[in-house]
This record gives sequence, C-alpha cells and structure tokens, in this order.
Amino acid sequence: MKILVIEDNVELLHDIKGFLEREGNVCEIAQDYETAYMKVGIFPYDILVVDITLPDGNGLDIIKETKKENIDVGIIIISAKNALEDKIEGLDIGADDYLTKPFYLPELNARINALYRRKVYRGCKEIIFNEIKIKPERHEVFVNGHPLSLTKKEFDILHFFVANKNRLLTKEAIAEHLWGDHIEMVDSFKFIYTHLANLRKKIAGLGGKDYIKSIYRVGYKFTDRE
Amino acid sequence: MKLLTRINRFYLIFLLLLSPIMIAVDYYLIRYFVFTEVNEILEHESERIKYHLQSTGELPYSRYIYEITPIDKAIPLIPRFRDTMIFDAYSNKSIPYRKHEFIVEAGDQKMKVTLKHVLMEVRKLIFWLFISTALIFILMTIGMFSINHKLSRWAWQPFYRNLSKLKNYDINQKNPVHLDTSDISEFEALNQVITSLMNQVEKDFRNLKEFNENISHEMQTPLAIIRNKMVLLLENQSLGEKELRWVQAAYQEVNKLSKIGKSLTLISRIENQEFTRLDSVDIRATIDNIISNMEEILQFKNLQLTVKLDPVKVKCDPILANILFTNLIKNAIQHNQEGGYIWMRLDEEQFEIKNTGEVLKTETAHLFNRFQRGNTTTDTLGLGLAINQKICELYGFQLDYRHEEGEHKFSLLFDS
Repeated sequence: MKILVIEDNVELLHDIKGFLEREGNVCEIAQDYETAYMKVGIFPYDILVVDITLPDGNGLDIIKETKKENIDVGIIIISAKNALEDKIEGLDIGADDYLTKPFYLPELNARINALYRRKVYRGCKEIIFNEIKIKPERHEVFVNGHPLSLTKKEFDILHFFVANKNRLLTKEAIAEHLWGDHIEMVDSFKFIYTHLANLRKKIAGLGGKDYIKSIYRVGYKFTDRE
Repeated sequence: MKLLTRINRFYLIFLLLLSPIMIAVDYYLIRYFVFTEVNEILEHESERIKYHLQSTGELPYSRYIYEITPIDKAIPLIPRFRDTMIFDAYSNKSIPYRKHEFIVEAGDQKMKVTLKHVLMEVRKLIFWLFISTALIFILMTIGMFSINHKLSRWAWQPFYRNLSKLKNYDINQKNPVHLDTSDISEFEALNQVITSLMNQVEKDFRNLKEFNENISHEMQTPLAIIRNKMVLLLENQSLGEKELRWVQAAYQEVNKLSKIGKSLTLISRIENQEFTRLDSVDIRATIDNIISNMEEILQFKNLQLTVKLDPVKVKCDPILANILFTNLIKNAIQHNQEGGYIWMRLDEEQFEIKNTGEVLKTETAHLFNRFQRGNTTTDTLGLGLAINQKICELYGFQLDYRHEEGEHKFSLLFDS
C-alpha cells in the first residue's frame, strides 16, 4: 500500500518510513504542512499518517482538506499532545485512528494494516501466514483449515504477531498493545509468556509450526525464517 | 462570624457595661439638682417669712410651714437642712421631706420655724431612671442594628458582589473576573490587590501549564526516536551478549521514562481540570469491561472473584472513570497472593473492593503520594493511586484505604 507520513521530526520520520518500507509498503514523507498539502492534492495514497503539530500549520487542517476534496484515504493521527480535545476533534473531522507519541512502530504498523483492510477490503480480507489463516473482523483463526479456539488475548497477540511478522516485538510493545498505555501492569511479561506458551501449544495441537522465537530477553519474533 | 455581628456584639457589651454607670451618674446628678432646687425654694421662703415678720410683726401664711416652736433665748441655732420621713395619713405611707430650720425673732420672743418640702421618692427615681436608660439602650441597639443592616446592604454591597464573583473564580475559565469598582477606598485597595494577585496567579498558571505541555510534548518525540533506534540495535545480529544486555537495560528505562511522562501529564491534566466532559457513566459496565479484560490474569494468579454490582450511573468523564477503576482492580490483583480472593461490591453510594494480601510497608497516609510504592520489590511506578486521588478530588469522591486481618480494602464514596 502507499502511505504518506507527515511528521516534522526528521529522525522519527525516517524511523517510520524505514519500518513501513520493510513491510513492503511504498512510503513517502512530508516534513511540513506545505509539502504535505501539495502531495495529498496530487498523489493518491491509501493511508495518511499525520502529526498534528507541524512547523507551518496544523495537521488537522490537512485532514479537513482531504475531506473537503473528497479524497478517499485512511487517516491515522500521531500526536505527542495526548490532548483529548485533539483526539475528539481529529476523529470528528474524519480521522480513523489516533496514536499518542511515543508509540511503538509495530503498533503503528498493526493499526495501518487494520485500517487498510477496513478501507480497501471492507474487512473481508483474510491474513494468511503459511498454514495460519486469520479472519480479523470475526476473530477467527484457522490452522491447516481447522478452527483454532483462542482466548481474546491470545487472538490479539497472534494478530499482532502476524501483522508484524519477521520483526522484533519487545515485551513492552506487546504489553501496551494488549492492555493499553495507561495501565501499569506488574507481571505483564509473565502473562505474555503464559499466553505465548498456551498459543504455541494450541497451534502445535493442530499441526502448526512454532513460529514464535524468543529474542534474547527483550521480546519475540514471529518468523518462518531461520 | 460576620464582621457586622462581631461589631454589634462589641457595641452591645459596651452599652451593657455603660448603662449601670449611666444610671448611677444620672441618679446623683438628678438628686443634686433636686436638692439644690428644694433648698433654694425653702431658703427663699425663709427670707420671705423673716422679711414679713420684721415689717409687720406677724408671721405670714406659708404652705411650707411645718411647725413653729418657741425656744429659749440661750440656744443659738444656725439655719440647717435635714431630710426626714413624714407619715401621710391620706396615702397611708411615709413620704420623704426636706426640712429647713431657722430662728426668727418677734419682739423679744424667739421662735424656731421649720419649713418642709416634699421630695421625690428615691426608689421611684431609680426605677424611672432605670426604665429610661433601658429604653435608650433598646432604642440605640435597634437603631444601631438597623443602621448597620442598611449599611451592610448599601456600603458592603460591592464587597459582597465581588466576593461572590471570586467564589465562582475558576483559573481554567478563559474569561477573567472583573471586580466592581467601589468609592470606598479600602474596598478599592482590596480590589486592586486581588486583581493583581489574580493576574499573577493566572500568569504563573499559564506558564506552568505551558511548561508541562512543552515538556511532555518535547520529551515524547525524542523518546520515540531513542526507542526505535534501540529496537534496531536489538535486532542487529552483530551485537554481542554483553552489549545486548546494555541496550536492553537502557530500553527498559526509556520505556519507564515514557510511562512516567505520560502519567505525570495525566495528573497535571486532571489538576488543570482539562477533563470537562460530564457524562452519565455506567459504572457497572465499566467495571465489567475491566474485569473481562483482566480475566486471564485473574486465572493466572488463581484468584477467586466475588462480584456484586448494582447498576449505578455517576456523572464523570468516561476515560477517567475507566482509569480510576482499572487502577483499583489492578492493585487488588497486584498486591494479592497466589490463590487469594478479590471481593467487589458496587451500590448507589460507594464501590468497595477487598483483597487478600500482605501488610504494606508504606504508611496509609503516604499511600496516595506520587512514586510511593506499597511493595518495594515490584517494579511499578507508584503513580496509580496518586492519579486516583486526583480523579477523586476532581469529582468530590472520597477514597479510603484500610488493612485488616490480612485484607486490603479500598472504599470509594461517590458523594462525600
């Protein structure tokens, strides 16, 4: 898919671009309001990732502009302000999602994928990873064609893993994905470990391979590569 | 106590102390004047009698004459005044009289003439004095109170108007308070001091808010970058075991920093009353939702859950309600023991949550402070209860903690 990232911090911009391109997306960047406004007007994008505070303007105005011009594009706001009014206003004027800085890049990636599926495939798209098939909107998973019964958290983890396959997912990123960022949960890493153990067991029970690799002590990687 | 009441009270005490003195002074003054007057009358009469006697040789008629007694030549007598009681047959009682005795000579015979003049009864005098003083006292009190009352309504009016304006003063309100001007210089001086104070406070508040916003805003982007770079480092195959451990430790601290930043921002946003939404939040649904989100953790810790929730709606911000109850339930899970229990009860008045767990090392009074951890071994930030406290302050809820018989108990009163 084609993504435009609008963000004034060059370093962060390149982090996001690098991450999304490794997922096989075409990722363009805009550092200021002018460039962003111009690019949105000329090129078609599937997804816009918009920072609200720009040196020469407000990201919300770009969203308003796309809505006015009837440009069909999924929009995710990224903002450091975490101000409720911004969030409400952003969603009101037609943004699809809102992420507060600092966010984990896999989280952004998962949100972009989910949004893209909703927009382009109207949610009917299945995610397939070798023998594993996920129907995200119906919360169903099939391994070798057999339905896999998972708890909500196990499903969330698997979905998050598959959306970020071959990437290092730190325990913190997984915890925040599962429980949100305002919740400071002790033992959350232990829970993740337990959930993963159950998940592995369940997938193996239906003849699936173990794709979950533990990476040192920092996290996990879902991969079929050696 | 109101200023006026206090002033009136002092006046009242003053008048009460003053009135006996006033009565005594009045009494002696009036007595003095009455006596002088009576003496003058009697002396005048005696002069008249003497004159009449000398010119005609006869005693004239006088209604003041009490008695005339012939006396021996040898006894000299200086004219003198005396007080006496004389029985009055008509009214059947003794009446006070002033007597004046003097000697007159008619030819070679000497006579002692005694004149009398009725006096006011002293008791009556004191009685009427008391009555009149009391009357003055009552009239003065009534007058003073009504004047003060009128004054307070008139002269103090700008003061009370400004007071009610200041009561409604909210630093988060964008429109500033305009105090009414007054032609009373004390009030005007007060207004000026308050206005300049408010301006200063507002300026400081704005600065602080700006600082908070800036720091949280400016901090988050660098943190995000640091974090991303560290993940790249961790993914890097060329790092050795030791280097990986360093990066991992740094990564964890960066995450902690980011969480602290977010939590402190949340606290200051609650303090700044930026959460202005007042929805009727379904507390039961909120709690049910949180429990289902933590179901697996409960199972994992093998905790037994007893929940009794009435349908309750409370006016507050749904996001804050979620944070508040999540923190309480999360605490009950965290500070619990393997195979313990959690007990929850929600009704119109309060939410109670009890759980098994060891005694905390922290004193209860400090429990709600920032960065206060009940248990030093766990790796939490210790901001959860501080956030809860702020939320409760915002909505006037009351959050109490007790520990008894191996049980932690938090109770949250909605209407304190």
